[in-house]
Amino acid sequence: MALNAVKRDIPSNIEGYGSTDGKLFGGAFARKPEGCRAGAAIRSRGPNDGGKFLGSIRDAIAASGLASGMTISFHHHLRNGDFIVNQVLDECAKAGIRDLTIFPTALFDVHRALIPHIQSGVIRRIMGSVNGPIGQLVSEGELAAPVVLRSHGGRPRAVISGDVRIDVAFIAAPTADIGGNMSGRAGKSACGSLGYAFTDAEYADCVVALTDNLQHYPIAPISIPGIYVDFVVQVGSIGDPDGIVSGTTRVTRDPLRLLIARHASKLIEASPFFQDGLSFQTGAGGIPLAVTAFMKEAMKRRHVRGGFGLGGITGYFVDLLKEGMLKKLMDVQSFDREAVESISSDPRHIEISADWYANPWNCGAAVNQLDVVILGATEVDMDFNANVNTESDGALLHGIGGHQDTAAGAKLTIIAQPLLRGRIPCVVDRVHTVTTPGEVIDAIVTEFGVTINPRRKNLIDACKEAKGKDAVHLVPLDELAERARRMSGPMAPVRQKDRVVGVVEWRDGTVIDVVRQIFPENISS
Amino acid sequence: MGLMEAGRAAQAGTVESMDCLVTISPDAERRRIEISGSGVSRFRATMEQKINQVLDKLGSSENIEISVQDNGAVDVVLGARVEAAYLRFKGVIDA
Repeated sequence: MALNAVKRDIPSNIEGYGSTDGKLFGGAFARKPEGCRAGAAIRSRGPNDGGKFLGSIRDAIAASGLASGMTISFHHHLRNGDFIVNQVLDECAKAGIRDLTIFPTALFDVHRALIPHIQSGVIRRIMGSVNGPIGQLVSEGELAAPVVLRSHGGRPRAVISGDVRIDVAFIAAPTADIGGNMSGRAGKSACGSLGYAFTDAEYADCVVALTDNLQHYPIAPISIPGIYVDFVVQVGSIGDPDGIVSGTTRVTRDPLRLLIARHASKLIEASPFFQDGLSFQTGAGGIPLAVTAFMKEAMKRRHVRGGFGLGGITGYFVDLLKEGMLKKLMDVQSFDREAVESISSDPRHIEISADWYANPWNCGAAVNQLDVVILGATEVDMDFNANVNTESDGALLHGIGGHQDTAAGAKLTIIAQPLLRGRIPCVVDRVHTVTTPGEVIDAIVTEFGVTINPRRKNLIDACKEAKGKDAVHLVPLDELAERARRMSGPMAPVRQKDRVVGVVEWRDGTVIDVVRQIFPENISS
Repeated sequence: MGLMEAGRAAQAGTVESMDCLVTISPDAERRRIEISGSGVSRFRATMEQKINQVLDKLGSSENIEISVQDNGAVDVVLGARVEAAYLRFKGVIDA
């Protein structure tokens, strides 16, 4: 055991993960890359080698050479509508393949169908987010090896640096041609950006494209070129359109959340970053969307025009682009129909890969250009460390997403959250799991006001200068914590075992925290 | 109000967020508290203490089971729901 830079005791060896020697989190920007990029096996397909087209997932598994113990990857652009992950694992099970490591960019509720494959040993390890019933299963120790959690930027870093080698990447493509060129823009299962799949296509030893909209060669525009793609499979449907994209996302009408959004908007307006060219990321949550709405109002009032919007893109951002409030959108994931339509028709709406979006080990990811990001957290503590992975009972139920990357990259990182969720306080003495270190978190905004990290003296000064109706209501962290304690009452510690069921990597591949097994009686329903 | 009516189960509360549903019914042996839901993993002891405190204050000495389905109620809410359920159980107030 040794303490890392956020004072977490990390075992020197984690069974199923390996040695943590030289891999302890040492600060947000401490670890630098060495050596060269890893690479995929070189393959060739000449004019006399035949086509790539295969009739079924089963044929593709056979052709790919997939065998027990290998690593397979998936993207999550089809979100809760995805049909591909479950089907591929069903076919692996039928083929007698076992002990697989699955390496999805994220899993959703629909993937609860993988539980029998976890229990039967077809899946030995998950590297990626877990939630819902799979998260509960993992938390109670049902998986042979610990889950490895990486951020959206940490994942491509791990692939490119060689930490993870992908044997076969299965890439669901809403449109593809016979040469394997892929796009998410068109087709009945259109999902917009294919950003999370790019690195897998380039670095996997074998790439299988799966589509329900097969076109003549070549499609245009192309997101992922067929030069990386070994096989193309036509399937009946890659997903359920209603689960792939949501309808128009609406701003919350909950007065508490609106109040929090109002506080956050005032903080942004008072900050030195509220000027022409302002870039921001807000995601699709209720509070962040409301912040976007309030910011739009403030930008109009003060004649400020934004630069770019980043990350997961919603119709709200598309409206800002159309109205000239933002000049560009950089889209790693298109959340709703408006976003899919916009990325398909507007050249100012740019598709970017997860590597481009957030990888700390390239020559400058988009997050580095970000002025403001609004994030959530299940808890924040007295060191401003944020937990987004575990719930109050210690269960590992959420992925990291872009939390670490945007927090590290943005000039102003705001956690906006009600002080209590039910009875559970969101400000605590010590978070159960550190996902993102306090050194990259600038402010916590609750219904009681704005709490600024004391390290950001310039931001505190800027807020104090805002007067009258622009005034920012500042609340010290200890006052906020005391208020939370009074409202929620004494909390018992999380009951947990020693066994590590999850490893939380910082975006640079160091271990920032571990998640330990919980007792089944912790189940809260 | 006679003892005849006091034997039946009584309820108060809802399963809305930040509320709880409290059901009180006769128990064969003792005062028994069953809690399930979101607060249970971290607040069981605090909740049990609050429930006992409310029932003691109301002078309850019966063998009853207090079943709480919690959805994040803070103590004041929990106490109010327990009190209402108990008074309904006793037939002091209408359901």
